[in-house]
Order: sequence, then structure tokens, then C-alpha cells
Amino acid sequence: MENKKIRIALTKGRIEDKAVGILEKIGFDVTDLRNKGRRLILNIPNENIEVVLAKAADVITYVEHGVCDLGVVGEDTIMEHGGKFCEIADLNFGKCKFALAVKKGTDFFAGYGVKTVATKYPNVTRSYFEKQGIDVDIVKIEGSVELAPLVGLADGIVDIVETGTTLKENGLEVQKDVAPISARLIVNTVSLKLKQKRILEIVDLIKGVIE
Amino acid sequence: MKKTDLLTPEGTRDLLFEECAAKRTVSERITRIFEDFGYSEVITPGLEFFDVFSGRTWHQFPQESMYKLVDGKNRLMVIRPDNTLPIARLAATRLSGEELPLKLFYNQNIFMVNPKDSGRDDEISQCGIEILGGKSDAADFEALVLAAKALSACDEDYRIEIGDSGIFTELMADYECDPELAVNTRGWIETKNIPQLEARFADPKTPEEEAFKALPRLFGGFEVFEKARGILRGEFFKERIDKLEKLCQELSEIVPKDKICVDLGLVNKKDYYTGIIFRGYVEGYGQPALSGGRYDRLLGEFGRNAAAVGFAVNVEAVARVLLKKDKSSFVKTPDVIVWSENPTSALKHCAKLISEGLTAVNSVLECPKCTKKYAKEHNIKRVDIVDKDGKVSNEEV
Repeated sequence: MENKKIRIALTKGRIEDKAVGILEKIGFDVTDLRNKGRRLILNIPNENIEVVLAKAADVITYVEHGVCDLGVVGEDTIMEHGGKFCEIADLNFGKCKFALAVKKGTDFFAGYGVKTVATKYPNVTRSYFEKQGIDVDIVKIEGSVELAPLVGLADGIVDIVETGTTLKENGLEVQKDVAPISARLIVNTVSLKLKQKRILEIVDLIKGVIE
Repeated sequence: MKKTDLLTPEGTRDLLFEECAAKRTVSERITRIFEDFGYSEVITPGLEFFDVFSGRTWHQFPQESMYKLVDGKNRLMVIRPDNTLPIARLAATRLSGEELPLKLFYNQNIFMVNPKDSGRDDEISQCGIEILGGKSDAADFEALVLAAKALSACDEDYRIEIGDSGIFTELMADYECDPELAVNTRGWIETKNIPQLEARFADPKTPEEEAFKALPRLFGGFEVFEKARGILRGEFFKERIDKLEKLCQELSEIVPKDKICVDLGLVNKKDYYTGIIFRGYVEGYGQPALSGGRYDRLLGEFGRNAAAVGFAVNVEAVARVLLKKDKSSFVKTPDVIVWSENPTSALKHCAKLISEGLTAVNSVLECPKCTKKYAKEHNIKRVDIVDKDGKVSNEEV
């Protein structure tokens, strides 16, 4: 019963690199993960663990539907995407924040006109302003959001801020922090119950090696 | 032709052949149990007034999740989004003369609007029971036994999980905080969001804050009760935990112990449930396949004060698991195909075969030759040709 295969979904890219590092620290054999080529499903030998590589929002989808038991994904994607799953541990890497940024020297909240916010994260933005009881127009932007206030499309942006360099170089500044972000370990609700022992074992191993 | 002429709306699907067979198998096995235990079936309308599902502060259905339309008098209607509320309405109106306890079962669909492209079903077939009135402990126990029986009748790879919604409610009642934190805390416990709880209650000042942090970890086997006693102190919690443990012990005399698990971190989003709360899981389906609990306030809302407990099984979820495991057992192939020049003799012969316990198809094709071809293509092993005099010659394909 407890020896069933566990499938972990990792968010491709930076989170994947860090997560593989964690798995290696635990003592898992990650050679397959390091030499993945273009493969999307990889094995951790001797552990009966399979690793799947996916885009951030898809990690949530796979875990929610139960085709993956565990997932590693940024809090930003969880906040934007939502879903039904358990968010069991903070992995303490990929730390950054959601922030409201404006053109340097301007005040987003000044005056009574309805303001326009450009963002890649409309849900995060909407719930933030809803909580404040402020009406705003939200414009979804796919690429560099910093451009929107500069060319006059928006009064401010809600975006992920890591070091603030991009903002600075474009004459923008953070006016308010919206929420802190880091990588999270998520678990499918049913897997957590049906494969409890093995999953909690893995969670403890992971928690044991993160700072 | 318009594009939508050819499609089913998102979140719905046509079920074909073995899918129907699997679904029917599941609902028949489950309703059989309910009938055997003396439950009476009810069918409520597919359309209900919007007001039945809104306006109650503590269990409102979010309006964006209901399919709405208007009736001939321009009143707002919904396509049944839930089975329990209509039954509560029914119990308080048409059944108001009937003495309690009432044991009812249903087997009907509910509809909900899911987020776009989420791959979830908007139409969900539910098979469930409600026990209205009666002694609470006895009714809780019966509901749990039937829940376990319902799942085990379909698939041996199941688990029943039990919690008590009263634990969180009581903790919150003793804890003073702004409503937003209360809502958030409930959500964090529900999603076992340990990082958020650790951060928010990093330095716990009250026993409640200590308990909020611990609740998401209080799940597993029967050892959970002992762990919980160390964290949830006080007469109220002692009583609730003792009661739950006794319930689980009793259940384990009927249901294998390894099929029962406990989660004291089960909370319900709205204050719908008032006592035990339980779920059922089947291997191969990523969300609970069964959910239920005790709701003692709902009937009062409709004007009949009575305690109640109930649960519903997601029939199609279980059916899909069964299909994935063994599709072939649901594929139905007729035993015989019958052809005759004379339709009367053909159907008479079919009836004879059926009375012998076989399944027989009446061939409406042109000739014996095309009938044989059809039989071959459809994997029917025997062809019976009935001639003018009613003589039957049969051929194995």
C-alpha cells in the first residue's frame, strides 16, 4: 500500500534547478534529472519517484487533478491560479514579492479618478484592490509590464519584484508591497490521505535540507 | 450549420456505451444499499428558485457558480446546484406531516459553473442519503457505515475519512479576531497551508492560535486522537474527541480499520456542517469521491427544526475509476443476432432466446450475408437465421 509510485511535478526553470538541488541534498540519485535532454518525465531510481517537468500553472493543474501527487511551484502562481490542493511547506527559495509600482515621484492613490493598473496577474491585482475597497481598471499585459505606465497606458503596475533593478532602470519605484512570494510544496488532497506515510516522509526529508 | 450545433457545452459530455454501463453499475450498487437499509427515494425538480440557494448568510452558494435562467414570470431560477437544500425544503413542506426520523435517498445530477478550462465537470451525478431527525449519534454512525458500504460496493481501494467541524467552530468562537483573519485561517487550515499558519501565528499567544497551527497536521490513523488530546485541551474538546474516537472504534467493527482515517483539520468553508464531517476517497480520482456531514441548522431555515446528517457520492467519478481499471467488464456484446425474411418470426425467436437468458439482436439488415458481416464487425459470436417455416439454423461466427 505505502510503496506506491509518487509523482512530483516541478516548475521548469529556476525553481526546477533549486528543487533538483534539494532532492540531491536529500541523497536521491538525480543523474536522470541533470541529464534530462528534452524528456519531460524522469526517474529517481530506487525511490519509486517520478519527476515531471511542467510550466508553473500546469504544476497546479496536474496536482489538482491528482495525476501528480506533489508539486513545486511559486506562491505567485498559486495566488493567481488558485485551486484545490494542500499547500504543505514553504521551500524558502525563489523569494521575491508582489508589489504595486508607479512612475517615480507619482502617487497611485492620489485624487479620486479611477486608476488603471497593468499586470500579468489580473487575479492577484483584483483581489488586492478589492480588499482595499478601491475600484481600478485592470489591463492584462503579457510581456514587460514596466512599459505600460511609461507609455501612458496605466497609472501603475502590479508585478513580481525581486531586486528592483528593472523598475529602477525604467524610472519606476515600488509604492506598496502586495504580498511576499516564495516556492511552495503542494500536495494533492487525496494523495496526501491515500499515500500519507510516503508523502510525509518525503516532505520531512525536504524540510530537513532546506534552510 | 453553426459551430455550437455540433458541440456539448464545456464541462459536460455525452456518455456512451460502457461509460453508461459503468455509471449505471455504480448508481445501482449504491442505491441498492440504500434501499436494503429502508431508505425512500425522492426526486426533486431540476429547476429551483434562486432564493432557495441564496440569502442565507452562512451557507450561500456563490452566485457565479450557479447556472441561472428566468421563468415565465421573469423570476430568477437556478438549475439544481445541490441536492441537500431541495431535500431540506421538501422535508419542511410536503413532508411536514411525516414524523421524524425520515430516511431519504436520491440519485440525480447537480450543475455548477466551474472556472473556464479547468477540466472539471459542470454536471455531476450524485447518489446520496439524508437522515432527518433521530438520535444524532446513531444517525452519524449509520451514515458512516453506509458511506463505507457505498464505496466498498464499487471499489475495494477506498478510504473513509472522519473529522469534526465543531472543533474549528469552537476554537473560532473562543478566539477574538477580525473577520478577515477568521476567513483566512479557515482557508489555511482547509488547504493545510502550514507555511501561512506558521507565519501568521509564529508567536502563539493563546491556546487557540496554538491549535490553529496544529490542526492541519492532525490527520492519519487512530493515533491522531491521542495527539489531539495534547493540543486541544478543555472539557469541550475532550468530549468531542472522545466521541469521535468512539465512533471510529465502533466503525472499525464493521469496516476494516485500514479503510478508516481521521482528519481533525477538516473544516467546511461555510458554516454548513455542525458536527461530524466526512469524506471518501478512491484511488485514481484526485478529489474526494464522497462527502458529507451533520447539518443541524439547515432544516430550521426552511421552518422545520430538525437535526440531519447526509452524504453524496460522485457517481461518475467512481465510474471513471472503475472503467480505467477494467473497461472490458463494462463492454456489452449481444450473444446472438437473428435474421429472418419475416419480422414476426425474427422477433419471436429473439424473445425465445431472451427468455433463455441470452441477449439477442434483431437484425434489420437486408440479407443473411450482411447480417453475418455485421456480426463479425460487432464481435457477436452467433447468427440465427429463421426461414419461412420458422426453422432456425445457427452459425458460429
